[in-house]
Amino acid sequence: MRSESLKGHLDALLLAVLSRGPLHGYAVIEELGRRSDGALALPEGTVYPALHRLEAAGLLSSAWSTAEGRRRRVYDLTRRGHRELGTRHGEWRAFVGAVEAVMA
Amino acid sequence: MSVAYLDALRAELAGAGITGRRRDRIVTEFADHLACDPAAQLGSPRKLACQFADELGTLQARRVAGRTFAALAIAGLLFGVAFFGSPAAAFGAAPAGAPLLGRLARVLAILAPQVAFVAGLLAALRALRRRHQGVIAAAEARIILRRATVATGAGLASSVSLGVIALVFADHVPASWQALALIASGAGTVALLAVLPSLWAAARLRPVAAGGAGDLFDDLGPVVPARLRGRPWRLAVLIAAAVALAIALAGIAGDDPYDGIARGVADGLVCLGGFATLGRYLGLWSPAAGGPPRGNPA
Repeated sequence: MRSESLKGHLDALLLAVLSRGPLHGYAVIEELGRRSDGALALPEGTVYPALHRLEAAGLLSSAWSTAEGRRRRVYDLTRRGHRELGTRHGEWRAFVGAVEAVMA
Repeated sequence: MSVAYLDALRAELAGAGITGRRRDRIVTEFADHLACDPAAQLGSPRKLACQFADELGTLQARRVAGRTFAALAIAGLLFGVAFFGSPAAAFGAAPAGAPLLGRLARVLAILAPQVAFVAGLLAALRALRRRHQGVIAAAEARIILRRATVATGAGLASSVSLGVIALVFADHVPASWQALALIASGAGTVALLAVLPSLWAAARLRPVAAGGAGDLFDDLGPVVPARLRGRPWRLAVLIAAAVALAIALAGIAGDDPYDGIARGVADGLVCLGGFATLGRYLGLWSPAAGGPPRGNPA
């Protein structure tokens, strides 16, 4: 899938991936690819600015952890992030329903 | 390879105005990513730095607009309480032999709150109208920041002037009002000073997202009648006339028609003067204004 097609949905995708539990940046990208069978392969570096923005907006929280002697930043959904994901999910369902109704 | 990449990323982030702990954190995250997958294609360091600056710049601009507006609301309320409860000696005709500092403070205390109110309101309006946009144009972020800076500066000038008036004219005002004015001045100043770190953080970022800065019509949106769109000077004259009329009517209602009309005309002219001197800097109009009506991208 073209990365341009994902641009408008990146925030919702990141929130959805993190709704199942905290992950670090690399794992977020891996999980996104795994759950979409590789269809949602984003340019990897572009995920980090979005994660920082979502955190600054209060939708994610983050904390340092250590793995194999390396520091890594682990992201988690805040309560506000969960609410936002619910809203985005509803909007997405309405959008898909409308498009399907037209395309059918 | 990864060391060179991380060094380049560090340098590009600094170039985009992202320094200190934020930059260290980003580089550490990318180092961890490359340790997980040494063959990862993370993209050009310059593009990434620009993306960080654009995303964070948008957020900081919105945050600064909100915080400035909140601080101005507090400072404005306190100033208003002191102003409307003030004795004639504070803001009326200056006592004979009043020092220059006191006279200057009185002029500032009348003009600066109006500048602060307009600039702060317009910063908040633009941020509000762009609230659903993931990334706003760098030019727009700059305009929001300028408005917030002018609003904060004018707000500080207002609060400090109030304190100066209370101290300089201490012999001419009741002690109770002096205490009230000093408290209002101090609290308002503290509220506005609290905005400075956000302003500083936003000013350091150098976003590059393409797009225009917009103008007054992007702020006011559908409030402006269609026939005025693309004609900022005509709108400014109408607003100045409305301000002049309101002040004149208040003077007439207060049995002081001549003074009211004189103040109204003076304030209307100050409005136009402010529009002429600060309008371009604050993104109220552009050199191209006056051409055909523009679309509203909001």
